[in-house]
Amino acid sequence: MTVTEIITTMLLLASLPFFLAGTLGLLRFPDLYCRLHALTKADNLGLGLVVLALIFQADNVQQIIRLLLTWLLVLIAGATVAHLIARKARGDGHKHWSRQ
Amino acid sequence: MAAQTNLWSRFTLRLGGCLFLWWVLTGGNTLTSWIIGVPTIALALWVMQSVPQSENQQLSLPGLLRFIPYFLLQSVRGGIDVARRAYSPSLPLNPDVIDFPLSLPPGRPRIFFLNSVSLLPGTLSAELCDTILKVHVLDRDIDPGLNQLQTHVARLFKHPSGGNR
Repeated sequence: MTVTEIITTMLLLASLPFFLAGTLGLLRFPDLYCRLHALTKADNLGLGLVVLALIFQADNVQQIIRLLLTWLLVLIAGATVAHLIARKARGDGHKHWSRQ
Repeated sequence: MAAQTNLWSRFTLRLGGCLFLWWVLTGGNTLTSWIIGVPTIALALWVMQSVPQSENQQLSLPGLLRFIPYFLLQSVRGGIDVARRAYSPSLPLNPDVIDFPLSLPPGRPRIFFLNSVSLLPGTLSAELCDTILKVHVLDRDIDPGLNQLQTHVARLFKHPSGGNR
Protein backbone atom coordinates (compact mmCIF):
# COMPACT_ATOMS: atom_id res chain seq x y z
CA MET A 1 0.00 0.00 0.00
CA THR A 2 1.24 3.46 -0.85
CA VAL A 3 1.09 6.38 1.55
CA THR A 4 -1.82 8.01 -0.27
CA GLU A 5 -3.78 4.77 -0.14
CA ILE A 6 -3.25 4.56 3.61
CA ILE A 7 -4.41 8.18 4.05
CA THR A 8 -7.47 7.50 1.89
CA THR A 9 -8.34 4.40 3.90
CA MET A 10 -7.96 6.20 7.22
CA LEU A 11 -10.16 9.11 6.09
CA LEU A 12 -12.83 6.76 4.73
CA LEU A 13 -12.85 4.83 8.00
CA ALA A 14 -13.07 8.12 9.92
CA SER A 15 -16.16 9.10 7.91
CA LEU A 16 -18.13 5.99 8.90
CA PRO A 17 -18.93 6.94 12.53
CA PHE A 18 -20.45 10.21 11.29
CA PHE A 19 -22.75 8.60 8.74
CA LEU A 20 -23.79 6.13 11.44
CA ALA A 21 -24.36 9.03 13.87
CA GLY A 22 -26.62 10.76 11.34
CA THR A 23 -28.80 7.67 11.06
CA LEU A 24 -28.66 6.99 14.78
CA GLY A 25 -29.76 10.56 15.48
CA LEU A 26 -32.60 10.20 13.00
CA LEU A 27 -33.85 7.16 14.94
CA ARG A 28 -33.07 8.26 18.49
CA PHE A 29 -33.69 12.01 18.64
CA PRO A 30 -37.05 13.03 20.10
CA ASP A 31 -38.45 15.41 17.46
CA LEU A 32 -38.20 16.57 13.87
CA TYR A 33 -35.98 19.57 14.63
CA CYS A 34 -33.35 17.55 16.50
CA ARG A 35 -33.36 14.94 13.74
CA LEU A 36 -32.59 17.64 11.18
CA HIS A 37 -29.54 18.61 13.23
CA ALA A 38 -28.26 15.04 13.10
CA LEU A 39 -28.86 14.65 9.37
CA THR A 40 -27.35 17.92 8.20
CA LYS A 41 -24.29 18.17 10.41
CA ALA A 42 -23.13 14.59 10.91
CA ASP A 43 -23.61 13.59 7.27
CA ASN A 44 -21.91 16.73 5.97
CA LEU A 45 -18.83 15.99 8.01
CA GLY A 46 -18.95 12.36 6.87
CA LEU A 47 -19.17 13.40 3.24
CA GLY A 48 -16.42 15.97 3.77
CA LEU A 49 -14.11 13.20 4.96
CA VAL A 50 -15.05 10.98 1.98
CA VAL A 51 -14.31 13.86 -0.41
CA LEU A 52 -10.98 14.52 1.30
CA ALA A 53 -10.15 10.81 1.08
CA LEU A 54 -10.91 10.73 -2.66
CA ILE A 55 -8.89 13.90 -3.33
CA PHE A 56 -5.80 11.86 -2.43
CA GLN A 57 -6.69 9.49 -5.28
CA ALA A 58 -7.39 12.19 -7.89
CA ASP A 59 -5.40 12.13 -11.14
CA ASN A 60 -5.78 15.78 -12.06
CA VAL A 61 -6.98 19.19 -10.89
CA GLN A 62 -10.39 18.85 -12.53
CA GLN A 63 -11.19 15.80 -10.44
CA ILE A 64 -10.28 17.64 -7.25
CA ILE A 65 -12.47 20.62 -8.16
CA ARG A 66 -15.31 18.25 -9.11
CA LEU A 67 -15.11 16.55 -5.71
CA LEU A 68 -15.07 19.88 -3.87
CA LEU A 69 -18.01 21.13 -5.94
CA THR A 70 -19.97 17.98 -5.09
CA TRP A 71 -19.38 18.59 -1.39
CA LEU A 72 -20.31 22.27 -1.69
CA LEU A 73 -23.56 21.50 -3.55
CA VAL A 74 -24.55 18.84 -1.01
CA LEU A 75 -23.77 21.32 1.77
CA ILE A 76 -26.00 23.99 0.23
CA ALA A 77 -28.78 21.51 -0.58
CA GLY A 78 -28.65 20.00 2.92
CA ALA A 79 -28.82 23.35 4.71
CA THR A 80 -31.58 24.66 2.43
CA VAL A 81 -33.75 21.54 2.71
CA ALA A 82 -33.28 21.42 6.50
CA HIS A 83 -34.44 25.02 6.77
CA LEU A 84 -37.43 24.45 4.47
CA ILE A 85 -38.56 21.38 6.44
CA ALA A 86 -38.15 23.22 9.76
CA ARG A 87 -40.06 26.24 8.46
CA LYS A 88 -42.91 24.11 7.16
CA ALA A 89 -43.06 22.22 10.48
CA ARG A 90 -43.28 25.49 12.40
CA GLY A 91 -45.95 26.74 10.03
CA ASP A 92 -47.93 23.57 10.70
CA GLY A 93 -47.65 24.24 14.43
CA HIS A 94 -45.21 21.46 15.37
CA LYS A 95 -43.99 22.21 18.90
CA HIS A 96 -40.37 21.47 19.58
CA TRP A 97 -39.59 18.82 22.18
CA SER A 98 -38.10 20.14 25.40
CA ARG A 99 -36.80 18.57 28.53
CA GLN A 100 -39.05 19.46 31.45
CA MET B 1 -21.85 54.53 -18.05
CA ALA B 2 -20.97 52.90 -14.72
CA ALA B 3 -24.03 50.66 -14.97
CA GLN B 4 -22.94 49.59 -18.45
CA THR B 5 -19.46 48.66 -17.22
CA ASN B 6 -21.04 46.78 -14.34
CA LEU B 7 -23.20 44.76 -16.72
CA TRP B 8 -20.18 43.86 -18.83
CA SER B 9 -18.08 42.79 -15.88
CA ARG B 10 -20.94 40.62 -14.67
CA PHE B 11 -21.28 39.02 -18.10
CA THR B 12 -17.53 38.36 -18.32
CA LEU B 13 -17.58 36.81 -14.85
CA ARG B 14 -20.45 34.52 -15.79
CA LEU B 15 -18.92 33.52 -19.10
CA GLY B 16 -15.63 32.78 -17.38
CA GLY B 17 -17.41 30.78 -14.71
CA CYS B 18 -19.31 28.70 -17.28
CA LEU B 19 -16.20 28.00 -19.37
CA PHE B 20 -14.31 26.97 -16.24
CA LEU B 21 -17.16 24.74 -15.04
CA TRP B 22 -17.43 22.99 -18.39
CA TRP B 23 -13.68 22.43 -18.45
CA VAL B 24 -13.88 20.94 -14.95
CA LEU B 25 -16.87 18.73 -15.73
CA THR B 26 -15.59 17.29 -19.01
CA GLY B 27 -11.99 16.80 -17.96
CA GLY B 28 -10.89 19.28 -20.61
CA ASN B 29 -9.04 16.77 -22.77
CA THR B 30 -11.54 16.42 -25.57
CA LEU B 31 -11.97 19.29 -27.98
CA THR B 32 -15.17 17.67 -29.28
CA SER B 33 -16.90 18.18 -25.92
CA TRP B 34 -17.11 21.88 -26.77
CA ILE B 35 -19.56 21.03 -29.59
CA ILE B 36 -22.04 20.42 -26.78
CA GLY B 37 -20.35 22.86 -24.39
CA VAL B 38 -20.61 26.08 -26.38
CA PRO B 39 -24.39 25.89 -27.04
CA THR B 40 -24.96 24.77 -23.44
CA ILE B 41 -23.03 27.74 -22.08
CA ALA B 42 -24.90 30.10 -24.41
CA LEU B 43 -28.19 28.67 -23.14
CA ALA B 44 -27.03 28.96 -19.51
CA LEU B 45 -26.06 32.60 -19.99
CA TRP B 46 -29.41 33.33 -21.61
CA VAL B 47 -31.25 31.71 -18.68
CA MET B 48 -29.18 33.71 -16.17
CA GLN B 49 -30.03 36.89 -18.04
CA SER B 50 -33.77 36.12 -18.00
CA VAL B 51 -34.20 35.53 -14.26
CA PRO B 52 -34.56 38.58 -12.00
CA GLN B 53 -31.19 40.15 -11.32
CA SER B 54 -30.03 40.75 -7.81
CA GLU B 55 -27.82 43.65 -6.94
CA ASN B 56 -24.29 43.12 -8.01
CA GLN B 57 -22.74 42.36 -4.67
CA GLN B 58 -19.01 42.02 -4.47
CA LEU B 59 -17.45 39.60 -2.06
CA SER B 60 -14.44 40.57 -0.05
CA LEU B 61 -11.50 38.26 -0.73
CA PRO B 62 -9.91 38.67 2.72
CA GLY B 63 -13.38 38.09 4.18
CA LEU B 64 -13.66 34.85 2.22
CA LEU B 65 -10.18 33.69 3.22
CA ARG B 66 -11.10 34.22 6.86
CA PHE B 67 -14.52 32.64 6.51
CA ILE B 68 -13.40 29.34 4.95
CA PRO B 69 -11.16 28.09 7.81
CA TYR B 70 -13.67 29.36 10.38
CA PHE B 71 -16.50 27.54 8.60
CA LEU B 72 -14.55 24.29 8.16
CA LEU B 73 -13.57 24.24 11.83
CA GLN B 74 -17.15 24.93 12.91
CA SER B 75 -18.52 22.20 10.60
CA VAL B 76 -16.15 19.68 12.13
CA ARG B 77 -17.14 20.80 15.62
CA GLY B 78 -20.82 20.64 14.63
CA GLY B 79 -20.52 17.12 13.26
CA ILE B 80 -18.61 15.84 16.28
CA ASP B 81 -21.03 17.54 18.69
CA VAL B 82 -24.16 16.05 17.16
CA ALA B 83 -22.50 12.62 16.75
CA ARG B 84 -21.55 12.64 20.44
CA ARG B 85 -25.15 13.39 21.39
CA ALA B 86 -26.50 10.66 19.09
CA TYR B 87 -24.16 8.00 20.51
CA SER B 88 -24.55 8.97 24.16
CA PRO B 89 -26.94 6.56 25.98
CA SER B 90 -28.44 9.38 28.07
CA LEU B 91 -29.24 11.44 24.92
CA PRO B 92 -27.92 14.80 26.18
CA LEU B 93 -30.35 17.22 24.55
CA ASN B 94 -31.89 20.35 25.97
CA PRO B 95 -33.45 22.00 22.91
CA ASP B 96 -35.05 25.39 22.67
CA VAL B 97 -35.98 27.94 20.02
CA ILE B 98 -34.23 31.28 20.41
CA ASP B 99 -34.73 34.62 18.66
CA PHE B 100 -31.69 36.05 16.93
CA PRO B 101 -31.91 39.67 15.72
CA LEU B 102 -30.29 40.07 12.29
CA SER B 103 -28.20 43.09 11.38
CA LEU B 104 -27.40 41.78 7.89
CA PRO B 105 -29.21 43.27 4.90
CA PRO B 106 -31.88 41.18 3.16
CA GLY B 107 -30.95 39.19 0.07
CA ARG B 108 -27.80 37.22 -0.39
CA PRO B 109 -26.05 38.02 2.93
CA ARG B 110 -29.11 36.97 4.91
CA ILE B 111 -29.64 33.74 2.95
CA PHE B 112 -25.95 32.95 3.28
CA PHE B 113 -26.14 33.48 7.05
CA LEU B 114 -29.31 31.38 7.30
CA ASN B 115 -27.68 28.41 5.59
CA SER B 116 -24.43 28.74 7.54
CA VAL B 117 -26.34 28.71 10.85
CA SER B 118 -27.70 25.24 10.06
CA LEU B 119 -24.19 23.86 9.59
CA LEU B 120 -22.77 25.31 12.80
CA PRO B 121 -22.64 23.30 16.04
CA GLY B 122 -26.05 22.85 17.64
CA THR B 123 -28.00 25.43 15.64
CA LEU B 124 -30.66 25.17 12.92
CA SER B 125 -32.41 28.11 11.27
CA ALA B 126 -36.06 27.32 11.72
CA GLU B 127 -37.88 30.42 10.56
CA LEU B 128 -37.16 33.92 9.31
CA CYS B 129 -39.59 36.53 10.63
CA ASP B 130 -38.60 39.86 9.13
CA THR B 131 -35.39 40.75 10.97
CA ILE B 132 -35.65 38.02 13.62
CA LEU B 133 -34.25 34.59 12.89
CA LYS B 134 -35.79 31.81 14.94
CA VAL B 135 -33.00 29.36 15.68
CA HIS B 136 -33.52 25.87 17.04
CA VAL B 137 -30.67 25.00 19.40
CA LEU B 138 -29.79 21.54 20.69
CA ASP B 139 -28.56 22.82 24.04
CA ARG B 140 -30.02 26.01 25.48
CA ASP B 141 -27.16 26.34 27.99
CA ILE B 142 -24.49 26.69 25.32
CA ASP B 143 -23.84 30.03 23.62
CA PRO B 144 -24.21 29.23 19.90
CA GLY B 145 -21.78 31.96 18.82
CA LEU B 146 -24.11 33.39 16.19
CA ASN B 147 -22.76 36.92 16.64
CA GLN B 148 -19.35 35.76 15.53
CA LEU B 149 -20.86 34.12 12.45
CA GLN B 150 -22.80 37.29 11.67
CA THR B 151 -19.60 39.35 11.85
CA HIS B 152 -17.89 36.91 9.50
CA VAL B 153 -20.75 37.07 6.98
CA ALA B 154 -20.88 40.87 7.20
CA ARG B 155 -17.15 41.05 6.42
CA LEU B 156 -17.61 38.62 3.54
CA PHE B 157 -20.29 40.84 1.98
CA LYS B 158 -18.51 44.09 2.88
CA HIS B 159 -21.35 45.18 5.14
CA PRO B 160 -20.47 47.93 7.69
CA SER B 161 -21.62 45.82 10.65
CA GLY B 162 -18.61 43.62 10.09
CA GLY B 163 -16.19 46.37 11.08
CA ASN B 164 -13.40 47.77 8.97
CA ARG B 165 -10.84 45.06 9.41
